[in-house]
Amino acid sequence: MTPPTDAVLEVRSICKSFGGLKAVQEFNLTLPRGSLRGLIGPNGAGKTTVFNLLTGVYKPDVGSVVLGGREITGMRPFRIAGAGLSRTFQNIRLFGELSVLDNVRLGCHVRAQHGVFRSIVRTPFHRGEERAIEASARRLLGVVGLLGRADEQAKNLPYGDQRRLEIARALATEPRVLLLDEPAAGMNSQEKVALRALIQRLRKEFDATILLIEHDMGVVMDICERITVLDYGKTIAEGTPDEVQSNPAVIEAYLGADADAGSSHAASKGGR
Amino acid sequence: MSTLRSRSVEMTPAALPTLVRSVWPLLVGVGVALALQFFAKPVIGDFYAKVLLDIGTSIILAVSLTMVNGFTGQFSIGHAAFMMVGGYVSGGIVYYGSLLAWGSADMAGGALSSMIDGREAPFLTWGDALFAGSLVAGGLVAAVCGYVVGLPSLRLKGDYLAIVTLGFGEIVRVLIQSQTSDVLYTVEEVKETAWYLMPTKVGGALGFSGLPFYSSLFWVFLGVAVTLLVAYRLKDSATGRAFLSIREDEIASEAMGVNTTQFKVRAFVIAAFFAGVAGGLFAHSIGVQLNPGELGFLKSFDIIIMVVLGGLGSISGAAIAAAIVTILPELLRNPEPLLKMWPVLAGLAAVLLVAAVVCAMTGRRARSLVAWMCIVLTLLGLGFGARAAAAAGHNLGDYRMILFALALILMMILRPQGLFGVREVWDRSLWKGIADSFRAPPKKGGTNK
Ligand SMILES: Nc1ncnc2c1ncn2[C@@H]1O[C@H](COP(=O)(O)OP(=O)(O)O)[C@@H](O)[C@H]1O
Ligand SMILES: [Mg+2]
Repeated sequence: MTPPTDAVLEVRSICKSFGGLKAVQEFNLTLPRGSLRGLIGPNGAGKTTVFNLLTGVYKPDVGSVVLGGREITGMRPFRIAGAGLSRTFQNIRLFGELSVLDNVRLGCHVRAQHGVFRSIVRTPFHRGEERAIEASARRLLGVVGLLGRADEQAKNLPYGDQRRLEIARALATEPRVLLLDEPAAGMNSQEKVALRALIQRLRKEFDATILLIEHDMGVVMDICERITVLDYGKTIAEGTPDEVQSNPAVIEAYLGADADAGSSHAASKGGR
Repeated sequence: MSTLRSRSVEMTPAALPTLVRSVWPLLVGVGVALALQFFAKPVIGDFYAKVLLDIGTSIILAVSLTMVNGFTGQFSIGHAAFMMVGGYVSGGIVYYGSLLAWGSADMAGGALSSMIDGREAPFLTWGDALFAGSLVAGGLVAAVCGYVVGLPSLRLKGDYLAIVTLGFGEIVRVLIQSQTSDVLYTVEEVKETAWYLMPTKVGGALGFSGLPFYSSLFWVFLGVAVTLLVAYRLKDSATGRAFLSIREDEIASEAMGVNTTQFKVRAFVIAAFFAGVAGGLFAHSIGVQLNPGELGFLKSFDIIIMVVLGGLGSISGAAIAAAIVTILPELLRNPEPLLKMWPVLAGLAAVLLVAAVVCAMTGRRARSLVAWMCIVLTLLGLGFGARAAAAAGHNLGDYRMILFALALILMMILRPQGLFGVREVWDRSLWKGIADSFRAPPKKGGTNK
């Protein structure tokens, strides 16, 4: 029962509660191939939790996730990565002691054979694979503009570079769908412009299907075709940037969030 | 776009040159082992040959544990237990194998084995072959134990591995101590005993006596060469990057498609294999007796110290630390070689001190210099201390656990990542990092974590 549409990612009413807190309720999403979808909402709305549910960090309480016609609900994260879902992390999770190049090479891991015996004996195929991995890693570093820092330790990169390295690493898994969690956070305006260009380039060159969480409305409204808005775990709006921007529920959610600072907003929801 | 697989096939090099490139490091290893056996040993004499032999065994142990505690960031504290398993399996095979094959458990080794000196001895005999086979068998049994111990505990997140490996070590020790009985001395006795009872005839609490001394510089350093080669090639491959990624960030590693449980178990099993081999080498070394008390928790702790001092994850660091930790008690017992070098050491310390002061005055960081100076001075102090202690009838070597504990504490303060961190002696970035610490302090901010 594969979906008749050309949807690569099909999320059907997934829910997740932490104790009494309903972090995500009845979340639905259909991503056509090659689309760029924005996922926005005030702090604590449940956006990162959606990513964690899709990538298997948490199991949904109910609902299902179908990737390229294949049910991936409840699978372990590494299998989901193998199935073609890759992500970046809001709170950067690079392999700090490893070199920039190794971080990206690790991303290629999931498509490689990596047998222990082969690595020790260094068979011709193993050598070929290591070369192919290095070549694609360097190419991706070129795409995100980090080729010059390939040999540095990842932990020594500036913040913006670390975010771009996370994107390169995620791309290295050759995903069908790429999940970006606040890639512009902590970037200056110049870096944000470059990031926007990078995302556009990923769509053109890699035919990437992207789900983007972003707080910077300039970035989101500018590049996303459609946007889903979450608040308190519920989807309160979905549509084109124009539709979303004029939606009263969205304005209400954001004004509410602005009125009392984001943190107290998140805290107050425990009572709901 | 093409798949990684098809691109790999495209880039696959020709078979013959690959074979050469894959094999020559091993040949170099064999060459070094032969050279140590036939050229170095006569020069340095039996005593230092024995020290070198102990260093070799320690290197195998430290480098193999590095794969678990260093690469994957898990915490095993029962490495000596796998050594014990391998030692008893290998010992049993050699002892009873020799008894059955040649009617006596005495050496049937050739020039490659340790006791027979001189070139008249045949180069390689069936005794050597039996010994080599027993090492592999000991390693394999240890690896199976590693799988059984590792699989359940590595599936869980958290420090279960530490608890389970500690428990495993105690179980092995107690089982051998209390559930095995005296070694059989004659072929008749062996023939009268049911085959399934043979594993219990390994000596109990008294230890497995009568093992022939097959472990020579050649065999030990062949083992070292293989261990180093395997560790290095694993580290420098997709498998090794998967190991290291687990230690760096398990969640990210899993999200990038690494089956973290599987890779943790792989590392653990490989490490157990080499610990088993080291156990076999230990069992057949001159001057030791294989007994359950010898390879308990304290031995595991020695190995952990080597790994931590070397820098969790550095193969060369672990090897160097293994050498230091093995030599130090010898040096403390007999500090004269160290004391002969005292003008050199004192001069070195003075130079480092001046450099550190100059660096500090010009606003540069000089922590590394101070650290190195401390190390040099400590060595000197230990030398004099050892001589003074010897004059008073003590042996500072007996206090090695205290000294190592102090060294570890100092290390944590001055250089928490160990000698080399995850990097190797030959990594340029390591030396660049050390050189940078002498330059102007880095700008605040910029990095994040
Ligand atoms: N592992 C967890 N345990 C308990 N509560 C959690 C957990 N993860 C997220 N939450 C809560 O779920 C809510 C949504 O969080 P999150 O998805 O991170 O929001 P955001 O939209 O800012 O990314 C927050 O209130 C957060 O505290
Ligand atoms: Mg978030």
